[in-house]
Amino acid sequence: MLRFEKRDKTPVQLRVLVPICSVLLGLFMGSVVMLFARVNPLRAYGAIIKGAFGSAYTFSETLVIAVPLILISAGLCLVYRMKFFNIGAKGQYIIGAICGSYLALFGPATMSRPLLLTLMMVLGTLGGALWAIIPALLKVYWNVNEVIATLLLNYIASYILWFFMYGTWGTRGFPLSKNFALNAQLPRILPSPSRLHIGLFFGLAAAVIVWIIIRKTRFGYEARVLGENERAARYAGINVFKTVIIAAVISGGLAGLAGIAHTSAVLRVLQLEINSDYGYTAIIAAWLAGLDPLVAVGISVLLAALEAGGYQIQIVMRVPFGIVGVIESSILFCLLAGEIVTHYRVTLTRRLAA
Amino acid sequence: MNPTFGSILIKVLAGAVQSGTILLLPTLGEVLTERSGVLNLGLEGLMLIGAFFGFLGAMKTGNPYIGLLLGMAAAAAAAAIHAFICVTLRGNQTVTGLALTIFGTGLTSFYGDSWVSQRLTTAIKPMAIPGLSQIPVVGPILFSQDLIVYAGYILVALFWFLLFKTKVGVNLRAVGENAKAADAMGVNVVGTRYFWTILGGALAGAGGAYITCCIHPYWLNGITSGKGWIAVALVVFAMWNPFNSLLGAFLFGSIEALQLQLQAAGTYINSALLSMLPYIATFLVIIVATLIVRVRHVGTPKELGIPYAREEK
Repeated sequence: MLRFEKRDKTPVQLRVLVPICSVLLGLFMGSVVMLFARVNPLRAYGAIIKGAFGSAYTFSETLVIAVPLILISAGLCLVYRMKFFNIGAKGQYIIGAICGSYLALFGPATMSRPLLLTLMMVLGTLGGALWAIIPALLKVYWNVNEVIATLLLNYIASYILWFFMYGTWGTRGFPLSKNFALNAQLPRILPSPSRLHIGLFFGLAAAVIVWIIIRKTRFGYEARVLGENERAARYAGINVFKTVIIAAVISGGLAGLAGIAHTSAVLRVLQLEINSDYGYTAIIAAWLAGLDPLVAVGISVLLAALEAGGYQIQIVMRVPFGIVGVIESSILFCLLAGEIVTHYRVTLTRRLAA
Repeated sequence: MNPTFGSILIKVLAGAVQSGTILLLPTLGEVLTERSGVLNLGLEGLMLIGAFFGFLGAMKTGNPYIGLLLGMAAAAAAAAIHAFICVTLRGNQTVTGLALTIFGTGLTSFYGDSWVSQRLTTAIKPMAIPGLSQIPVVGPILFSQDLIVYAGYILVALFWFLLFKTKVGVNLRAVGENAKAADAMGVNVVGTRYFWTILGGALAGAGGAYITCCIHPYWLNGITSGKGWIAVALVVFAMWNPFNSLLGAFLFGSIEALQLQLQAAGTYINSALLSMLPYIATFLVIIVATLIVRVRHVGTPKELGIPYAREEK
């Protein structure tokens, strides 16, 4: 029988050990799945590492993927702390991309580049925030389950993108917009062919700012109290409505910013596939980082490496990209299972005394 | 009534019953899982696992019914992961369910890649019930279907009876309402939660396998296209009652059948907007249902999503 004793404090080494073991076990489970499909896991992982870190160019491509993950996971670290489970980053990312692209495609052509880009980023951020405020209001006023609401909004956002791309925004019947003019392209920071862009600095700034909000401000303190005990938070005079809504706006806004930054700097065109699944990957990043936005930066780079490597093995070894989802979810399973030892002292006894 | 219009309507409604059954099976399973106090948000992943392994089983054995059972078994095994993490290890049920969805999506698109667009030659065929299928209007809609649809009807009645009229149902509800009290009464809390979580997984798998072994007998990555999430929402709509699940599932089946007919009829309504329809409807329904549940105080198991820790007094 297993016996659980509640811990008062989690030892620091466990906080580090559990995520590391989860990653290793997740990679192991990925290998088992690969073996069933007669794929050599050592070769696959070798190719993933090479595809992610093999050269300066491949590493910059890894960072291209890390940028949206860093932005989105920073916001998720904040909302998840107050137990508002926003899993709608995908939809917020899409709406952000649509709102910002509107200006890129139909805005005044004479506008100066810094002004146009600033307005695009602001509009994208607002779009993502708007898409997050809907489920937040429904949650605080009517207690509508935010997981289901945000998820359904992901599907609705995808079809809104479809609507525009197959409608007036597409070109000659193809679901592909015209190319963004140079003025509407967010600058890249390394020489071609690297696509790494200044969104990286937005991401790093967002992670630092959210870290400061959580650690050093009254709002962050209230958010943490709210997450631990909602009733206590209300007694302490914390405005639960306001706190949840502000956090949702921040997380939605960052997802929207990620959407428009990636579209404007990397894709330079609006299309059906704008890599919005980063919205799901970022959830794993935030959780794996223990909801610490600075740790999430590092985790985002690691998950980005897995994704970049995943694209590579699909092309080079014809290993389907689905394996990335298997590995990511296995890591998450192990982490969730491992949380038992951070919360409880687990001992094996012969028989539990009732 | 114009005979051609009547016959079209009957065809649409018969299609609605089929689409409704895809949603009914996972919804029913989740009603029971949540009644035991376990929230499983991984239905979408479980349905995909059921759909793929059901399809694979049917391809390999040539028998779609064996395929369906294999799909159910695979999804039940995946649901056991959820039960282990959430019941034994007291993990966060929301995030575990999400992980399950990512897992199901990844696993089936990994193994399914080489099966994309292959077709099943022996899909599940309809079997009209003699006598009942002769009833005008109702017969062709409800009783000229396949065995899985009929199994859906029977399960609704069976689970309703089980939940509200038997000792098993009393215990199941007690575990979801107040695990400590149930434990004191001698009910096996852990065992109950495991059983209904795994059974709920098997039913989600059945819903997925019903798609690939009968309605769309081919494999595509992500073939369930969000139906698992609609089922999660339908549980709230059903207020955790098996009979209401039937109403909800068939209502949403009708929306889907209507959408398909409109799509086939002409292109003057934008297809993106039509495809959005079920998700918009679900979104509105979840809001209304939540408000009703709040006013009438029915349904929601009190300890839904809360792990049971015996030693904590």
